[in-house]
Amino acid sequence: MTAIVPEAVDAGALPRAQSGDHDAFAEIIEQHEAMVFSLAYHFFNDRGRAEEIAQDVFLQLYRNLGMIESDAHLLFWLRQVTTRRCIDLTRRSRLKAVSLEDAGELRSIERHSDAFLDRRLRGFIEQLPDIQRAVVTLRYQEDLDPSDICRIVDLPVNTVKSHLHRALQSLRRKLGERP
Amino acid sequence: MNLDNDLKRAMRRESPPAGFAERVMQRVRSGAAPASGAEARRPKRPPLHWWRAAAASVTLAVVLGGYAVHRQREGERAREQVLRAMSIASEKVAYAQQQVRDIGSH
Amino acid sequence: MRKFVMTLALISIVAIPAAAQSIRIDFPDLEDRAEEVVDVTLDADMLRLGAKFLSGDDEGERAVRDMVKNLEGIYVRSYEFSKDGQYDHRGLVDRVKSQLGATWKPLVTVRSKTKENVNIWADMRGDRVVGLVIVAAEPHEFTVVNIVGPIDIDRLAALEGQFGIPKISKERNRD
Repeated sequence: MTAIVPEAVDAGALPRAQSGDHDAFAEIIEQHEAMVFSLAYHFFNDRGRAEEIAQDVFLQLYRNLGMIESDAHLLFWLRQVTTRRCIDLTRRSRLKAVSLEDAGELRSIERHSDAFLDRRLRGFIEQLPDIQRAVVTLRYQEDLDPSDICRIVDLPVNTVKSHLHRALQSLRRKLGERP
Repeated sequence: MNLDNDLKRAMRRESPPAGFAERVMQRVRSGAAPASGAEARRPKRPPLHWWRAAAASVTLAVVLGGYAVHRQREGERAREQVLRAMSIASEKVAYAQQQVRDIGSH
Repeated sequence: MRKFVMTLALISIVAIPAAAQSIRIDFPDLEDRAEEVVDVTLDADMLRLGAKFLSGDDEGERAVRDMVKNLEGIYVRSYEFSKDGQYDHRGLVDRVKSQLGATWKPLVTVRSKTKENVNIWADMRGDRVVGLVIVAAEPHEFTVVNIVGPIDIDRLAALEGQFGIPKISKERNRD
């Protein structure tokens, strides 16, 4: 199994962004926005919240551009920061409640249609404990091996494997399969 | 069912809502600290009075834009919660109905 | 061995607005023991807000939008546990039931030793359903749903299978 490694951002975008070129930083966002957004979306199954988190991650990247050493490091950094931010947010608030201020008239927004099983699976994944959720998301969205995942979540590889195994057992149980 | 394949499909990457990069850049331009070790390029300063008006309009646009984004997010979150609640309720009621039918058919 | 105990039958009723009761469905003792808690709290304002964002192009979401437009609230608490025996099912059912006034009638009781137990009560005004309480208990999960406002139970059940909610499959009836 191989990890998904995107093509290098337009040659020189990283050093240009590090020199203060906003257009170059925008290129970096466009290259990685789907990955960052999807990590957060698959964690919380909530597009609004995923966008919030993704925006914060890129702002954090902007503030820390100087420490990014390469395109590969950039990819690793984004995955790690996004995952850790999602885990932190889950731990800060175990109760998933909606609390809304009056927002008046609002427009509907575009959305995708999802296969019913996909939606069901995402709902079950959202119910997993935080580390299991992170491991499943990194494994199946980013196609990462446990050896890659363990560096992102900063846990021993056998612990990652154990979390993955328990998560899959839990999903199978919820889906009604025999383990 | 092949759970591995189903998970890969369900977890495929999706794009954020249109305009995501621009919304991030708005926040970057509105005052996020420059990257450490890097200096932002600074445009030539226009006459002071023009600059003040420009800064005020940019600030207002950012505030309004930010509020609209905030409201949109809250609405999308509410939609997800409505669907989740109805999904759970319909699942339980349908299950109970199914049991009634099963018993009735025996 | 599978064991079902059924009482009464579901009633299909088209409802019109009337005063409705919401009940307390928070269980702090369960929350302490649960591995995960799902908490959905939607009052009338939040329901209207969420409904605005439901797609008019999607048949299922349109159906949901129609159903929630006259509701006053939807409240869900779902507690998931890592192992069996973490809660007293009968005790919790009694705690919910003790809050229900004289207008509440039991609709369905499903009891199973191996699968999901479900209790459904409806708040009735004559033939009109103005509220619903659903208590569902599995070995690792306990869920309470309170719908406040007029609701058509058959339409609610029919939502399953639309907008990405899978129909109850035969697998749920396996022993």
